[in-house]
Amino acid sequence: MTFDIGIYHFGELTPDPVTGRETTVADRFDELIEQVELADQVGLSVFGVGEHHRGDFAISSPSTFLAAAAMKTTQIHLTSAVEIISSNDPVRVFEQYATLDNLSRGRAEMIVGRGSYTESFPLFGYQLTDYDDLFEEKLELLMEIQKSNPLTWSGKFRPDLVAADIAPRPYRDREIPLWLAVGGNPGSVLRAANLGLPLALGILGGRLDGFKPLADLYWEAGEKAGYGKDRLRVSVNGPGFVADTSQQAIEISHPYFAAGMMENFHQRGRGHHMSKQAYQATASPAGALFVGSPAQITDKILAQHEAFRHDRYIMQLGFGNVPQKDALHAIELLGTEVLPAVRKALA
Amino acid sequence: MSRPLSVVTVNGSYSSPSKTGALIGLVADQIAASYPCELAEINIRELGPDLGQALERDQVSPALAEALEKVEKADVLIVGSPVFRGGYTGLFKQFFDLVEVYALANKPVFMVASGGGDRHALMLESHMRSLFAFFQAHCAPVAIYGSSKDFDRTTLLDPSIYGRIEMAVEDMKVVLDALAL
Repeated sequence: MTFDIGIYHFGELTPDPVTGRETTVADRFDELIEQVELADQVGLSVFGVGEHHRGDFAISSPSTFLAAAAMKTTQIHLTSAVEIISSNDPVRVFEQYATLDNLSRGRAEMIVGRGSYTESFPLFGYQLTDYDDLFEEKLELLMEIQKSNPLTWSGKFRPDLVAADIAPRPYRDREIPLWLAVGGNPGSVLRAANLGLPLALGILGGRLDGFKPLADLYWEAGEKAGYGKDRLRVSVNGPGFVADTSQQAIEISHPYFAAGMMENFHQRGRGHHMSKQAYQATASPAGALFVGSPAQITDKILAQHEAFRHDRYIMQLGFGNVPQKDALHAIELLGTEVLPAVRKALA
Repeated sequence: MSRPLSVVTVNGSYSSPSKTGALIGLVADQIAASYPCELAEINIRELGPDLGQALERDQVSPALAEALEKVEKADVLIVGSPVFRGGYTGLFKQFFDLVEVYALANKPVFMVASGGGDRHALMLESHMRSLFAFFQAHCAPVAIYGSSKDFDRTTLLDPSIYGRIEMAVEDMKVVLDALAL
């Protein structure tokens, strides 16, 4: 097993809470391209962008952005984080990622999930009352498209496919890795296990080992369903930030994280205020927030590895958009300090 | 000219350190961030034998008498208990059974509790709130609950509970402002 470390972004367009500076979509894209280039150079394994359909996020079309990233990089895998298949057509999604896979010569990946925002449903003419059925059918179709071509298929939410030739096929006819994102719902964990899909745990807070029952459930149900280590994998995805010292990591990232929480999470219908005290507590050794020095981040990854047996960690780097120079430094630390230390400890 | 608020905490836990105590401390910090405070802590575990021996107010030990008077004279109370067998601890109730019936009328009260899981959270609403409704106390609309999984020992990890603490104190702003005048 080689442990993989990566980063992902939503492309928030939050104005800088420290300087007040506004940003533009084009400028965010430039910054994110610079980040993926550096991530590639320092040996990180994966770079992801997540789909949102609102004016305060730059990424509504992950595969388009990842295609640009593919042209600037050579090694790093490029993934959605996540692609909301419930409100999309799996045929189109597959075509996009197969395109990306060829552009990148086999570096495309998909993390698919139900999404934690709902804007895309009315936007594309879907009913939220079909939330569960949509995800189930579209995931099934996406997997069918991977498996067979031409494909004959019928379902409830799109016209039938009759010997449909869905192209292009992925690079050298390989299978594009398809991960299932789960936020804490045991039913979703069982779905991943029963389908033999790798599991992307989205851990946004709480205890560092808080998802252990879910990881245990996944391994147990997956093995019972007859899948081996070639199919079953666990990754941890969640917000974090790394700087030279723990103090710097907190000081730099807190204002941005707090601004992001204020805009995106709500208590009683208004923004969620994240005090520095709460931020520090969640970042403490037993907390699930990955904010700290390279040594602290390494320790957290290794502690979770004991609990979850995961082999991939993807950090949502500096939620709220920490300044570019700090984000770049964090990427360097992840690649040059955290990644070697984790791999050495697990060798 | 503002005067310090007299804030008295009552922790019904029998253990030390306690998660309930940690939540009480965070509420006290939140009040102290906005108002000058004089804080006094009452820990039921330290009064256990005294409480067991007092069936009536005239039987209380000097230490227990002092604690009861502090509570009765406080500007603001922060009260908390772990969830024991579906309710607050027995001695927490025994303590408040000895408090003078009208002493808490219209007094701002913040209620907190901790328990083994989220399923016990409504103890605050169904048991503790009715106790302070009896006293006609001015209870904060938001009560604070934390489960074991929200803590690393006594460090509270869950940001949403920090958020609820801020909300609870903010909701009582008018009352606290008037007291601090």
